[in-house]
Amino acid sequence: MKTTRTGAIVGGGLVLAGLAVLPLTGIQSYWIYTLTIGFYYALLAASWSLLVGYVGRISFAQAAMSGLGAYTSALSLQHFGWPLPVSLLAGVVLAGFVGVFIGWLTLRLHGAYLGLTTIAFSEILRITVTAEHGLTAGSLGLRVPPLIQGGGPLTYYYLFLAVTVVCLALMLFLLQSRIGLFFQAIREDEDGAASLGVEVTTWKIMAFATSSAFAGLAGGLYAHFVQLITPSMMSLQEMGYVLAMAVIGGFHNVIYAALGGLLLQLGLEGLREVGEWRLVVFGLAAILVLRFAPNGLFGTIFGSFSRKGVRR
Amino acid sequence: MSAQLTIKGLRKQFGGLVALNEIDLEFQAGELVGLIGPNGSGKTTLLNIIGGYYAPTAGTVHFEGHRINGLAPSRLARLGIGRSFQVTKVFQRLSVLENMQVSALTDWGISRREARSRALAILDDLNLTRLAEERAGRLSGGQAKLLEFGRIMMLEPKLVLLDEPFGGVHPELKRFMYDTIRAWNARGVTIILISHDMGSIFGLCRRVVTLSYGDIIADGDPEVVRSDPAVLEAYLGDHHAA
Repeated sequence: MKTTRTGAIVGGGLVLAGLAVLPLTGIQSYWIYTLTIGFYYALLAASWSLLVGYVGRISFAQAAMSGLGAYTSALSLQHFGWPLPVSLLAGVVLAGFVGVFIGWLTLRLHGAYLGLTTIAFSEILRITVTAEHGLTAGSLGLRVPPLIQGGGPLTYYYLFLAVTVVCLALMLFLLQSRIGLFFQAIREDEDGAASLGVEVTTWKIMAFATSSAFAGLAGGLYAHFVQLITPSMMSLQEMGYVLAMAVIGGFHNVIYAALGGLLLQLGLEGLREVGEWRLVVFGLAAILVLRFAPNGLFGTIFGSFSRKGVRR
Repeated sequence: MSAQLTIKGLRKQFGGLVALNEIDLEFQAGELVGLIGPNGSGKTTLLNIIGGYYAPTAGTVHFEGHRINGLAPSRLARLGIGRSFQVTKVFQRLSVLENMQVSALTDWGISRREARSRALAILDDLNLTRLAEERAGRLSGGQAKLLEFGRIMMLEPKLVLLDEPFGGVHPELKRFMYDTIRAWNARGVTIILISHDMGSIFGLCRRVVTLSYGDIIADGDPEVVRSDPAVLEAYLGDHHAA
């Protein structure tokens, strides 16, 4: 386990160094934009992995939570005139509170029942945003002020990279703490964890809240970057992307899931010419990874490097 | 002397099935009690109610003077009630050492360093030190049972509920488990032990309670319970009891 952890840290460090110097290599600004969106997906996939990979609670509401963060930030800025950081924070807090509610609502649910409840919740949110046309502009899309006035692609790229790294570091800090151990104990066996004094109810709710709050932050940043948001960002198709990203990267580790987000966003853009077929490709890839590399691509790769290192 | 654990009028129904029928029991601190009975007699149900996993249909459970039925298992664990399960519930993908530390770390006053050193000391007592960094899922059945013992020891319990701890355990390991249970008990820990292994029950316990169809049919000295006609009938049928 330690070897895998070391692999994740070393591998993550190398990727981070690569991403930091990439814009200096003269890469087209189109790809800079693509990677910036990739950081959004990386954060979203990591936040999903925090819940599913570490606590064992399935949720299909992550994209909806991102949308909630996005709309809350945009609307509070527009209607209350709050400063942008406060609006972003409002999105994070509201997503966190809604996460508490979902966590509480689904406390006794497992597996398919839990999954279906989160799908229903996600659809309720999306349909509400679509229907409240007067407030959200519905499917036409809501215009959102930029995050940085006059900010160029590189500014956004480095800002999103920094936020993603800080959020991943926070997640790792949490997961390495005793709370992370409680999360994993709950994932392994709720009754066993409770018999040892772990407050299963509290930590399950906290996990939903934390995961949703990170998704809310990702959504808020995304909204102020793309400057036009629609309810489709809360759709189940978007959730499917996030799920495929985390599964292909390796959803048992937040770093691998984040790398999966980045990789698939590049893949989505790289395969744009094949249209909807790329979704079939990603679906198949997710199935094959689950079957042959359940630790995900990065989990398998870094895990094997670490083991080789130990053998030497 | 007032009892450490008092059970009064305890009834548990699952639909039309009465699993426990108006049970009254008292356990003094430091007792080592065997709980026996044929399959379906209500032994595990009783442990599940004491441990907070089931709510009783009627009746009360008091531990050290406090009513505990209705409290969550996590709360009971912190009050000093530890338990093992028929099918071990070790955390398969966590290391043995991490498994051990979970209960200690639920106390926010204990640092990770302290929890680790306590865990290592107990693993040493259980001869599991060499497996400390191993994933618990790789342990043999007997080693997993020992790990459950270790996790309970980390709770520093006052009352331990053991549900079939010897099932599928190698005889040599079983003897080691006997010693561990005796050592625990010698330190004043109350132990309620369920086992189908009568040798273990009669070898370890100074009191045996027998359940049959949710009723207590015998309670007392192991030698007396062993020859009680009601117990023989419950286990072997009318013919043998006569």
